[in-house]
Order: sequence, then structure tokens, then C-alpha cells
Amino acid sequence: MDNIIESKNMILTKLNSKLSETFSEDIYRSVVDNTNELYLEANPEHILEICTYINTTLGYPLISMFANDEQSLCDKYAVYYVFADREQGILLIIKTLVDPNKMEIRSITKKVHAAALYEREINDLFGIVPVGHPNPKRLVFHSNWPQAEHPLRKDFDVKHKLDFAKEETDFQKVTGEGVYEIPVGPIHAGIIEPGHFRFSVVGEPIINLEAQLYYTHKGIEKMCEGQSIERCLYVAERISGDETFANSLTYCQAIEKIAKVKIPTRAEYTRVVFAELERLTNHLGDLGGLCLDAAYGFATFQFRMMKGWAYWIADELCGMRFLRSVNKLGGVRQDFILGKELKTIEELKKIKSELEDTVKIIKSNSMFIDRVENTGILQTKIATDLNAVGPSGRASGLCFDVRKSFPYEAYKQLEFNIPKHNNGDINCRMNTKIKECFESIYLMIQAIETMPSGKLLEPVKTFEPYQCAFGLTEAPRGENIHWIMTGENNTIFRYKIRTPSFCNWPALCHAVKGNIVPDFPIINKSFNLSYAGNDL
Amino acid sequence: MFNTVKKIIKYPRVTGDYPNKPLDSSLFIGKPEIDLSKCNRCGECLSRCPSNAIVMDKTSNNIGINYDECIFCALCEDVCQSEAVKMTNSFELAEKDKNKLRMNTLVIEEKNISDPDYEIICSDLKANIKKIFGRSLQIREVDSGSCNGCDTEINALNNPFNDIERLGISFVPSPRHADMLLVTGTAVRNMQNALIKAYNATPDPKIVVAVGACACSGGIFKDAYATSNGIDSIVPVDVYVPGCPPRPQAIIYGILKALDRVR
Repeated sequence: MDNIIESKNMILTKLNSKLSETFSEDIYRSVVDNTNELYLEANPEHILEICTYINTTLGYPLISMFANDEQSLCDKYAVYYVFADREQGILLIIKTLVDPNKMEIRSITKKVHAAALYEREINDLFGIVPVGHPNPKRLVFHSNWPQAEHPLRKDFDVKHKLDFAKEETDFQKVTGEGVYEIPVGPIHAGIIEPGHFRFSVVGEPIINLEAQLYYTHKGIEKMCEGQSIERCLYVAERISGDETFANSLTYCQAIEKIAKVKIPTRAEYTRVVFAELERLTNHLGDLGGLCLDAAYGFATFQFRMMKGWAYWIADELCGMRFLRSVNKLGGVRQDFILGKELKTIEELKKIKSELEDTVKIIKSNSMFIDRVENTGILQTKIATDLNAVGPSGRASGLCFDVRKSFPYEAYKQLEFNIPKHNNGDINCRMNTKIKECFESIYLMIQAIETMPSGKLLEPVKTFEPYQCAFGLTEAPRGENIHWIMTGENNTIFRYKIRTPSFCNWPALCHAVKGNIVPDFPIINKSFNLSYAGNDL
Repeated sequence: MFNTVKKIIKYPRVTGDYPNKPLDSSLFIGKPEIDLSKCNRCGECLSRCPSNAIVMDKTSNNIGINYDECIFCALCEDVCQSEAVKMTNSFELAEKDKNKLRMNTLVIEEKNISDPDYEIICSDLKANIKKIFGRSLQIREVDSGSCNGCDTEINALNNPFNDIERLGISFVPSPRHADMLLVTGTAVRNMQNALIKAYNATPDPKIVVAVGACACSGGIFKDAYATSNGIDSIVPVDVYVPGCPPRPQAIIYGILKALDRVR
């Protein structure tokens, strides 16, 4: 353990001196926090150069970006740019201060493409204008939201319900002979979440797709501010229904870092079992949905049956199909696994053999493979620029996984592989998910068999105010990042949530280009993104 | 092909027979109940409930849970020192009257309805709905800003275990084809307009069922700038199905309750 801290420390010191040399005038301060987080305070005038250097020369992707109203601490707003070195497992955070009388930052989108959505989000929620942004359109708020209101500023009352403004929404216009638009949504034909898609089409192929999301925007980040840390765990569980456990785990991880608590080993293994169970359930559901959208009824019902079996395991272990109320700050609520080991392993093996059979059947169905092969290709270059994460990224050659690059809980002690595909089509995404199902089953069995006995909860009661930490986990859809800053009296000061769906939505819009309209549902399903997790 | 047929023969029928036969709910975490004889009214659960669903009446010293707001997280069971709160297995909680789910009844402003016949027409209409729909029903699902938990459970109604079509109930793609709107989520600001449009597009007579704590009362998301406290502030609701999320069988129970097919 000490070795890891030391080696991380050395890497960070090296990185720090390298950056301080290159930008000696512009970096004011550096702090190392939570062993692998390096915070640098930088000059806002030269933020573009610093970020471009980190992104292109050092090759660190931008994984999150957010603002914070720190007027009560230093009379200024702060903007944080988060970069990750996934090979060495470190986070580099550039912090820059914004004058409340000016409310402007230099846009880095033209050089760091992944920043495009984050900057628009900050503009909506804080009113900090990204100067030089190529497309500074509203993101979070629709035309019914009054222009001058920014809810994440501290002087905005969370209960204040604003009047509805009446404006028109502009969409990207594609013009030319034979170009027409297809508007879809917000309410879709299936039982799915709301979102509006605007297709520009010539004949059958899609030229452009603009997704207007944020229909389910509830204001979760604002809602959590000033609330007790215990209560926000339950809000975190409800960020995205089918990623309940991943989100609560990420939240707990961040809070446990702030409290400097090491959770008991048995709790670590229990968390692995539940996190993998959630991944298995979600992937089986995705595969079923894929087959449904290709009108392959038999396979759909096979996968749905297996998903049903996975839910039975969840019911048997904890009585909750969505694994809610399993995590608790400092461990898990009770010993869910004790006495159920053999039965669970038996059920998992049943799912495994059924999955093997079904995969064999669908792969020998040439009509189905024809449909999914070379459809909805996400190119590696686009995936890299947009920081596509999770199975969608891994299908396009971006072979990283938080479980390997930032190992948490018991993943370091367990053995598993990360699948990698390069073509980036539906078939690759499907194969990635199939492979991950088997890996999840293998991980669960390993974790149950090697789990040590012991206690499950290390109580955490009080938290230092104004401490911050990141939680990073691999949710079923990919890299999930929460950043938390505590306030006084064990409350939350700022809670930034970045779910994998936020990164992958723009990737989806690129992947559908050139495909025909009837293929959109199946491409959409192969990404299976969460609307609620994106909209917050 | 041979393998496909083999699988079909291997699993001829996995569908359960709920609601004709009761479900084994011994493993489920259902609604919490407070044993008033054990409770010492310390107020610990009251102050820590994430969705503020527990209420205490100071004058009568009575304590209870509003199930329309409850998110079934079991925190009250954990924090109770005197072991008065227990999570039960009961999951069939749907009610037509929201006040039946609540410990403190909602006081609704009494308005003078200018046309007294209106109420009578409505109740007659409701009585006729059952006759008109018979035993078949078309449902349109509307997500008005949920976390996707309830929608996943509604999707599960179509899986081989629940197979809701055996009850003559099916999901349709358009509200214009629907007899019932199954609404999840807390009617967030950006969905209110769409929800009203979907409601207006559904032909009369129609039934609205609110699924989940968010739709019933706002649940854990109530009182925020972009949410509302339950969809009944936007459209009239006939049946409330509490739960976070309610199990597929609890949703079936709610749908059948709306049709008066269960008592």
C-alpha cells in the first residue's frame, strides 16, 4: 500500500515539475490530494495553451470539466478541468478562477474537442460564457427557461420555480435539394426515456443527427447542495435507474476518500459482486434489446429470460431488484452473501451455460449478423476526440477500463480481461458486451469464493468541511465520475456528476451518420445510453 | 435452427401466474411498518428519512409513513433504536385514493363547482369505462422525468416471466391508440408540455396511472426548481402505484386495480 502511494507521489512530482517548467509564470499553486489527484491553479489568460499542451503533447484526455461557485471561500467562481493519465492511474486537475464581475472563460473546445458540451453546460448552469466556442448553443435548458437565470449559483433558491419563457428552439439546418427533416420525440414509440432527435435526411441515409436531450433534467446537482451527506447517497442511487449500484458506489468512494476511511475487505468483495451483477443484468438487457430491434424474437426472449434469472439472484441476495440500499457510507448495509454462496454460484453457472448456447445460435444466424455488421461505425479517431467510454469505446479500439487503470475495491486481487475490438460497429459493441458478461460471471464467482470473513461496515460520521475528492468507477456503460466538495455540518457543498452517457451521446450522433433511418433504433440500442444519467 | 427448436422445447413456459396465484414474496423488501407499541417517538427516523415520508402528529403523538413519498430504502429500519420499524414483504400497494396511502391526509382546497352535474357525469363515465374496455386494454407509457427504474420495470412486464399480454393488456406506440396512460417520473419542467399533449391526445374515456414514488408525490426529487410534486399537479390521476421502483407485479396489480379487476 505504501509502495503505491510512494510511486504515485513520484509520478505526480515529476509531472508537476514538468508543467511548472513549461508554464512557470502561469501555474500559481499545486496540491496533491487523495494520493493520485494533482490540483494545479492556473492563470485563466493562458488556460487554452495549458490545456492544449496537456491534451496533445502529454496525451491526457479531458474526462470532466465543471464550475463551482466559491464566492463564500475566495470571492470568485472556479472552473476545474480534469485530465486523466489512464496508464499510470493519476488525475490532473487544472483549476482556474473566474471574476464574478466578468463571468467569462476562454473556450478550449477548438483544441480539446471533448470540452464542447462541458462548456455549454457551464454556460447554462453558471452563466460563465466560453469565449470563442464554435457552437455556444444552450444545452441543459430548453426554450422555456428564462435567459438570465443560472441555478447552480449559490444565490439561486432551489425551490424557486420560474415562469415559462416562450422562445423557439433552433436546430442545425442542412439545406440542399431533397434534404428533409424528421423530428422524433420527446415521447418515443417504445417504453424508453424522453429525448428529441432531429434527423436531416436525403432519401434514406442520415446526413446529420442533432439530439436535444435534458428533457428529464431534475436539477440533481443543485438539489444535493446543502443536504446531509447521508441523504445524498439515496439521491445518487436514483441518478440512473439501471446504474443504481455503480452510482452509489462512486458516491461512497468519493466520500470515503474525504473521510479517509478504509472499508473492511469483506465489504470490498461484496461490492465487487454487486457491481458485476449489475453489469451482467444490464448487458443481458442490452443484448435482448438489440435482438428485439433486429426483429429476432427468439433471441430477445432468451436474453430476457436470462436477465430475469439475474434479477432473481439480486432478489435472493438483497431483496431489491435494482440493488438499492445495498451500499452504505463505509461499507455495505448487511452481510448479503453469507449462506447464499453455493446457490448464487449455481445460478450464475446456469446463466453462463445458457448464454453460451444462445450466443452460438445468434452468431450462426447470418441474417442477424448481416444486420449488425458494419452498421453504425464509430471511428477510433472520433471516439478518441470525444472521449467515448465503456463498451462503446472499447468496441472502437479505446481499450481502457477504470477497474484496471484506477483499481478500486477488490479488483486488484481478482483476475479478469478487458475485451477489445477495433471495427466500432454494432457487432463489435455486441461482442464486447457478450465478452463482458462472461468476465462478470467469472469475477463474481471468484469474488464469492475468495471472500474473507469479517465485518462489513466501518462507520463514518463526521467530515471535514471544504474537502474534495473524486469517485471513479466502471459503470455498466463506462467510466463514471463524481466529484464532491463537502460543506459545513456534514453537508454537500458541490456535487458534480458525470455519467458515461454524457460522453457517449455525441459519439452516437456521429455513429449514425451515413446509415439509413431504419437502422437508427438498433444503433441507439447498441450504445444503450441513459437519458436520466445524462440530463441529471 | 435445430438449436433454436431445442431451446423452445427446453423452456416451454416460464411465465408466472400472477395475479391468479399469489406470488411468493418472502424475499422481497416491501413497505416499512411502524409498530406503535414499540416506538418511543424519538424522531430519529423522521429526521433522517431521505424523502421526508415519515410524519409525526405532535398533538395526538401518532407517527406514520406516507407511502406515496416513501422510497423503500430501509434506512428507517436501520436507524430505529427500539426496533419498531420493520420492512415487510407486502408489495401490492396501489390505491385509487392518494389519502389511503398517507398518514397525514392531504387537505385539498374546496372549490365551488359551478355545474353540479359535472361530478355525476364523471362518476357515470368512470363506471362505463370498465364496461367499454371489457377485459382488454391498450397502454401508452409516458416517462415524465423518471430515473429509468420504473420504465425498466414496465419493460419487464413484457418479459417471458410476466408476459402482460396474457391478461389482454398490451403497450401501444401512440397515445391516440391508448386507453390508459402509465406515467412515471415527477413531471419535470421540460416534460410538462409533452405530458399534457399526450393526455389530450388520448381519446376519452381514459385512465391515468401514476407509477413510482416520483409520479405519486415527487419522491426524493420533490421541491426542486425543475420538478413537481407528483403528476397529479399536471393531469388527473386514477390510481397511484407507490414503490421506488414498484415491482412488475405491483404495476400489474395497479393496472388491474384501475380496471376494478382486483379488489
